[in-house]
Amino acid sequence: MSKKRSDWESRPQARIKKWFFDGYSAFDDEIINQISVKTPDPVNHAVYDAYIDEISANKHERKLMIEKFEDQNVRSWINARGRKVFTRFYVILSFLLACLMIFFLLRTVAEMPRFGSETSPGINEVTARYIEKGLDETGAMNIVAGMILDYRAFDTLGESTVLFIAASAVLILLRIDRNKDGSPVMELIAEESDDRHYEPRNDRILQGAAKVLVPIIFLFGIYIILNGHLSPGGGFSGGAIISAGLILYLDSFGFEKAGRFFTYSTFSWVSFISLSFYALAKTYSFYMGANGMESGIPLGTPGAILSSGLILPLNIAVGMVVACTMYIFYALFRKGGL
Amino acid sequence: MLDWLRFILSFAFLVSGLLIMITAVVGVYKFDYVLNRMHAAAMGDTLGILFCLIGLTFNAPDIWTVFKLILIIVFLWFSSPVNSHLIARLEVTMNPQWHQLPLSPEHLMEEDS
Repeated sequence: MSKKRSDWESRPQARIKKWFFDGYSAFDDEIINQISVKTPDPVNHAVYDAYIDEISANKHERKLMIEKFEDQNVRSWINARGRKVFTRFYVILSFLLACLMIFFLLRTVAEMPRFGSETSPGINEVTARYIEKGLDETGAMNIVAGMILDYRAFDTLGESTVLFIAASAVLILLRIDRNKDGSPVMELIAEESDDRHYEPRNDRILQGAAKVLVPIIFLFGIYIILNGHLSPGGGFSGGAIISAGLILYLDSFGFEKAGRFFTYSTFSWVSFISLSFYALAKTYSFYMGANGMESGIPLGTPGAILSSGLILPLNIAVGMVVACTMYIFYALFRKGGL
Repeated sequence: MLDWLRFILSFAFLVSGLLIMITAVVGVYKFDYVLNRMHAAAMGDTLGILFCLIGLTFNAPDIWTVFKLILIIVFLWFSSPVNSHLIARLEVTMNPQWHQLPLSPEHLMEEDS
């Protein structure tokens, strides 16, 4: 037994039909109602001329008013019909463009080698060496950590520096400074009063949940960072998790409490120490010959927590930079300061 | 025999979890009002994920995986209701006409009397 419907107009088929034949849909109607100013109805020309004659004998004024009237008529066409025509062509053209893009991308995918096939250009002596000698040379059970923090450590230094530079750029653009005597400027006062203007402050339930969850999130992030050379994970993902815990704390307890342990100097010192430690450690490693040469840093037994040479401290450094950067992004975008 | 039992149990739990998730997604797109949509989304986040993860525990290779999955369930059941609470509270704070909603306490009292 089929359900009887009264709203035939809002059926998909009816909507498509209406859209196709009338040139616009009910949705377009809503948008037009929202954005366009209502124009006056077109007036009968004779009545209008009489009206113009009545108020102005002056020819110049009359000319101006006629121009204004024509202008209004043109605008009313744009508002009533032109926008709909434009919308229809826009929708059709964008649909065609999307189909074209899908076609080209699928053609490209079809010409790529199959996943895991031996002839693909991704499988060469570099990959073979990483898999065969990776454990011996880096001492890391997690082959990805061995790659990004030993063979390609210079690349990872660049990535961490990019994060730091992004945080600095956001700091320059969004930070609201205080006056020289330390009093807040008007902009900062406005931002602080606007911050969480509608949101409930000091929500008890959120605070109770945060009290339980934040330590667990911190522990989990630290575990992922410290275990990065043994299992999937590492500095980037662990740092993101720690920053999520920091943001949850900031959201539930506010800027005042979070500012007790995380200030600008915390951010700058942690980032500076981590990045310079990373750079110095890798400089030493490169200076001593890098790949598999004797550098005085013991690799340890694979699988132990203290193993794989420099990878563990480098993971910690990267994790610190990532956590600080994400947290300061959030704070700056929300209030323009810590 | 035991393998078959495990397979059937995990299959049943996974399918029911997926059905709940599909219901939640349909509800999120079908309902108009924030609180109704919040209810649908929260149902998928708690009950649907609970059934899916229980289905996965039956296929876990060792006891530690089961332990981790249970920890994930506890975490989600902790965080998702708090999310829903915050959304509901924000709606009540920001909507000036929330007393006229069909969900408000005054309305319910009127219906009772």
